[in-house]
Amino acid sequence: MDLEREGGRGANQLRPLDCSRNVLNRAHGSGSCSHGETRVLAAVYGPKAGTKKNENPEKACLEVIWKPKIGQIGKADKEFEMILKRTLQNICLLTAHPNTTTSIIIQVVHDDGSLLPCAIHAACTALVDAGIPLKYLAVAICCCLVENGRIILDPNKMEEQRMKALVHLVFPSPVQSVLPEGSKEDGIITSLSHGVMTVDDYFQCVKHGRAAVAPLSNILTKKLQSQSPSNQSVAG
Amino acid sequence: MTLNEKKFIETALLSDLRIDGRGPFDYRNVAIKFGREDGSSEVQLGQTHVMGFVTSQLVQPYRDRPNEGTLSIYTEFSTMADPSFEIGRPGVFAVELGRIVDRGLRESRAVDTESLCVVAGKWVWSIRIDLHILDNGGNLVDAANIAALVALLTFRRPECTLGGDNDQEVIIHSPEVREPLPLIVHHFPVAITFAFIGSESTVVIDPSNFEEAVMGGKLTATLNTNGDVCAIQKAGGDGVVQSVIMQCLRIASVKAADITNKIKKAVESYNTERALRKIKRHPDPVVDVSKGAGMGVRSLSIEMEKTRLEIEDRKVNRSDDREIETHSSKKTGSRDPYSKGINGDELKASLASRAAATSVEKMDVLPSVKTQFTMIDKTPTEMDSTPSLQQTIEAGEQTIKVKTLMDAVKPKHRRKKKTYPNHDLS
Repeated sequence: MDLEREGGRGANQLRPLDCSRNVLNRAHGSGSCSHGETRVLAAVYGPKAGTKKNENPEKACLEVIWKPKIGQIGKADKEFEMILKRTLQNICLLTAHPNTTTSIIIQVVHDDGSLLPCAIHAACTALVDAGIPLKYLAVAICCCLVENGRIILDPNKMEEQRMKALVHLVFPSPVQSVLPEGSKEDGIITSLSHGVMTVDDYFQCVKHGRAAVAPLSNILTKKLQSQSPSNQSVAG
Repeated sequence: MTLNEKKFIETALLSDLRIDGRGPFDYRNVAIKFGREDGSSEVQLGQTHVMGFVTSQLVQPYRDRPNEGTLSIYTEFSTMADPSFEIGRPGVFAVELGRIVDRGLRESRAVDTESLCVVAGKWVWSIRIDLHILDNGGNLVDAANIAALVALLTFRRPECTLGGDNDQEVIIHSPEVREPLPLIVHHFPVAITFAFIGSESTVVIDPSNFEEAVMGGKLTATLNTNGDVCAIQKAGGDGVVQSVIMQCLRIASVKAADITNKIKKAVESYNTERALRKIKRHPDPVVDVSKGAGMGVRSLSIEMEKTRLEIEDRKVNRSDDREIETHSSKKTGSRDPYSKGINGDELKASLASRAAATSVEKMDVLPSVKTQFTMIDKTPTEMDSTPSLQQTIEAGEQTIKVKTLMDAVKPKHRRKKKTYPNHDLS
């Protein structure tokens, strides 16, 4: 009944997470994130003047470009672009720079499972590096349902292919507040599921995912804080 | 580019000064790194960043060349490299870069395409190189060429044999069953770019992006260490005297030798590291027979990408290499970290101090292993703060402890028995 995962990981153990800022020189902001072997690079350009045709000029506009590792952009990549755009629209302060466009370019370096969460973390790192105002960071996790009903977190490629069902969840990073508040339950920003699972299983996945939010966001904020700010001008 | 900046660069060059402090014939530092899989490379030339990926596929050959495999190069001028790069169809520069790299590698017969033939006239290997330009710091051609070359040298294609009835079916063997084969590369064509700046046509090697914006003309020479000129490209621009061109070619041959040495060293270190990983692989005799016979090729195109499936063995290997530093953390990785014997707070404190000591490097694949390993132990202690899940994990961990492969490997003994298999590097 017990699940043997590669590297002796437990069901709730995540792979080592590493993020670094300011990895590129020309981009206004750049970040690289790796979940174990999965690695994604993100770059941010913006805010640039003007919005696209059908976008609301009262708010800032976000544009996401997803670059797969090999080949041209496909349907799955376009779906990732759309999901990332909507997720990042939630975390950015869109009213800070109205009538502007910010471009986020994601490059997949290696995909070993849990690609979307890794891309979201890389995009957040790049946005922080570019100085785009954000409400909070996004913390993403991938939960899978195995045949025997167990739920495991952060699968690698082999585990993803053998899964019965999986769900990607994005939560807002808990904000440190001065005001004394009761335990506020933050909502789910994004939930993307593949495969068939019962309603109870889905809520179990959400519960497990939510339990991972606090340690993940601690790791992320620590990584972002520990790096020295860049003092180079990138204009021109 | 403002007029002031242009004039500054030109007048500084009259006194042999470049704006980044180099001399006119100083090449920038080349840093070559490798990715997780075979055939993926990352090259940094000053501020220019290029990544190369090589994949292979079985296809039908061209009609006029039934015995040769094909090599194709795809360049992606990503918008992240430069705000002026647009998405959509590749622009003029992207196509030109692709053509220069292609001429250097394919038309000079650097890669042996005849060895890529499987069944003459029916099945050949098609090698595809994807070059991603991540950061434009000038001189993309040279960096892209090095990335393509390094990726080709570290690429391994799966071995395939003929089988089935009347030997017409191709069976592709997975990497666990048969060791994948490297490509045959006869020589290393290295591209060196020169820029001609100003009215006196001052020559500089390896232009940065500011110099490229003010240059009047550009010359790219692809040479190898045998003294062959594989390709020369000077597309328009200011006219240059013959003697200057000859001087450029002479300087280029010296620089090409330097770069070839760097490439050879980097590829050799990658191969030794790969060989170490292979030696420590846990052999699984049951898999051999069934897998080899089971695979058959029916459809026209089957993508074979190299995947590292033996992740647990790699983690063990890394623990051997860094045994001294991460000795106690390795112990906690292989045993149950939640057992009553280890004090959780002590562990957290010791790991926190170690994590603070290791420096996190950006975009480095090999050194980041150190941080990876400390992170493995950090995450379990932070993750399992929820008590309700801990009990089930504890029970699970203890029962499966007996079976993991880490227990089967004895690191200290293995270290002495290491032998480096012979591998040839052309």
